[in-house]
Amino acid sequence: MELSLKNISVALSGEEILDSVSLTVDDGAFISLLGASGCGKSTLLKTIAGIIAPSKGSVFLNGVCADHLPPHKRGTVIVFQDLRLFPHMTVAENIAFPMKMRGAAREEYVRTTTELLEKVQLQGFERRRVREMSGGQLQRVALARALAANPNVLLLDEPFSSLDENLRQDMRQLVQRLQKDYKITTILVTHDRQEALSMSDKIALMMDGRILQYDTPENIYDTSVSRTVADFFESAPYIEGVVRDGIFKCEIAEFVVDKPDGIYQAVLRSGAIYIDEKGPIRDFYVSEIQYRGEDYKITLKEESSNLQLETYISSPCQFNVGDMVCIGLNVSRVLLFSSN
Amino acid sequence: MRPYLLLAPLILLGILFLLGVGNALIQSLGYIPAFGMTDLTLEYYKQVFSNPTLIASVKVSLVIAVVSSVLAAIFGVLLCAALVMNGYVRDRIVQAIKIPILIPHTIVALFMIMFLSQNGLLARILFHMGLITAQDGFPMLLYDTNHIGIILAYLWKEIPFVAYFVLALMTSINSTLGEAAENLGASGIRSFFHITLPLCMPAVNKALLIIFAFSFGAYELPFLLGATIPKALPVQAYVEYIHPDLRHRAYAMAMNGVMLLITLGISGMYYLLSRKTERMNGEQRG
Repeated sequence: MELSLKNISVALSGEEILDSVSLTVDDGAFISLLGASGCGKSTLLKTIAGIIAPSKGSVFLNGVCADHLPPHKRGTVIVFQDLRLFPHMTVAENIAFPMKMRGAAREEYVRTTTELLEKVQLQGFERRRVREMSGGQLQRVALARALAANPNVLLLDEPFSSLDENLRQDMRQLVQRLQKDYKITTILVTHDRQEALSMSDKIALMMDGRILQYDTPENIYDTSVSRTVADFFESAPYIEGVVRDGIFKCEIAEFVVDKPDGIYQAVLRSGAIYIDEKGPIRDFYVSEIQYRGEDYKITLKEESSNLQLETYISSPCQFNVGDMVCIGLNVSRVLLFSSN
Repeated sequence: MRPYLLLAPLILLGILFLLGVGNALIQSLGYIPAFGMTDLTLEYYKQVFSNPTLIASVKVSLVIAVVSSVLAAIFGVLLCAALVMNGYVRDRIVQAIKIPILIPHTIVALFMIMFLSQNGLLARILFHMGLITAQDGFPMLLYDTNHIGIILAYLWKEIPFVAYFVLALMTSINSTLGEAAENLGASGIRSFFHITLPLCMPAVNKALLIIFAFSFGAYELPFLLGATIPKALPVQAYVEYIHPDLRHRAYAMAMNGVMLLITLGISGMYYLLSRKTERMNGEQRG
């Protein structure tokens, strides 16, 4: 189902939490609401679900205004961060709950519960109590229960944040697989950039109750609309330079760009530079080497200034701290922002 | 050493309490040497369960306790649900419901007499409205064998008590699991009956047991608002205690023994419920 938000504003206890948020999620798409804690992501999720009423704006489901629909009739189902499984029910009763609430026959909800438990790889756990399950298993039960509600839109409120890394990876894969199987329009709330970049069809980057950019992962990363967006994905040094006649010039490099003349700031992210003995940028030395398992993080410093760049190289590392190196530039990955 | 010093007042009071209870139990077994009663016997307990006056007293106390506690629990939960559903959990209304809890039972008895007696305010209002023509036209709510006055007085105090006792838990469950249930397709009412209420029941039952134990053993309201015959157990025990024949004190103590046993049983149930609540809270946290 297509979900549209039109100019949603929310104020809680006199404080504005969301400020004129507009967003359209295509039918069956998986998008992420990405942002730091307190930026309004969860509030937006609860507003979509009808738990919080917006002070302005409207929610549309398949083009139909859903403002008058109470939460239990919206079909916008949240997997809460704290899961909120019912402690007085078994696993099967938890999953069957939404089906019972919509009046499904016993045989239907028993069959669906068994199917869903298979889908989340928890066969045979029907009679278990919530207290007898591990964190990862509880996540799966919460996911199965949300799917049992036959959601129009599935809303995932940082569901993996309490899991350790391996389990988190498993759950991401499970969620992606189920989302594709059921073709459910899904919104994932997360503050994890990698999670958002790797899972989503589109990412909405939120800050201070507003959406700064809503785009595909590649576009939002490679063509961030502002420094704020770019900085959220990777903190990197800025170098000021000038574009004249289609050429950007700064103190360490110059290259061709498709920008009008003016003063610009270039963001030199780790992906935009690489160590290359024939590289045009000189006078940098290796100031720090950090082993990260799959690769090394190399910090490079310019001798005559405080300019510090970072890049990654795969193992084995042939450099030592103090080595002088030359740097090559991957121009297509350098972001330029006008200083005006 | 310091923790034991801090505990000293509690230990001292505990010893005094246990001495009193022990003394009452010994006297209930017919052992009061001061009155020349030195044979241990269960005769006084048998009398409590065979003497028609005493049996009637046990029944009166049970009826008052059961009806008051069950009705207080039902209406208390409804009041609590109304407060929670309408978002009045930190409101002045919550402060207002504390007032009946704080007012002593004796004062409540005086309210009841002033409002509900046959020459009370309510009867006078109805008379002036022409709805009754004489004092007798107003139903006998006080001093009657149907115990309505006593039960109403208990309800006036204990409905707010139940609501206040359950309020924090119900607010918390409603805003988390209740919200989740509605999000999964349950209407507000179904969410309340399927999720919020079942999870609040340990607290409701605890409140019910407290009210039952209190109303079964309390003296003031049955004494001030109850019928002359039959009397509630605590009132009858007092009557036996001040009987000119001091040997009747053994009956009083046997009645106290019955109340003690029932209260101990209720305390045991309260303990079990507390453990269940703790376990459930642990699960929710986990």
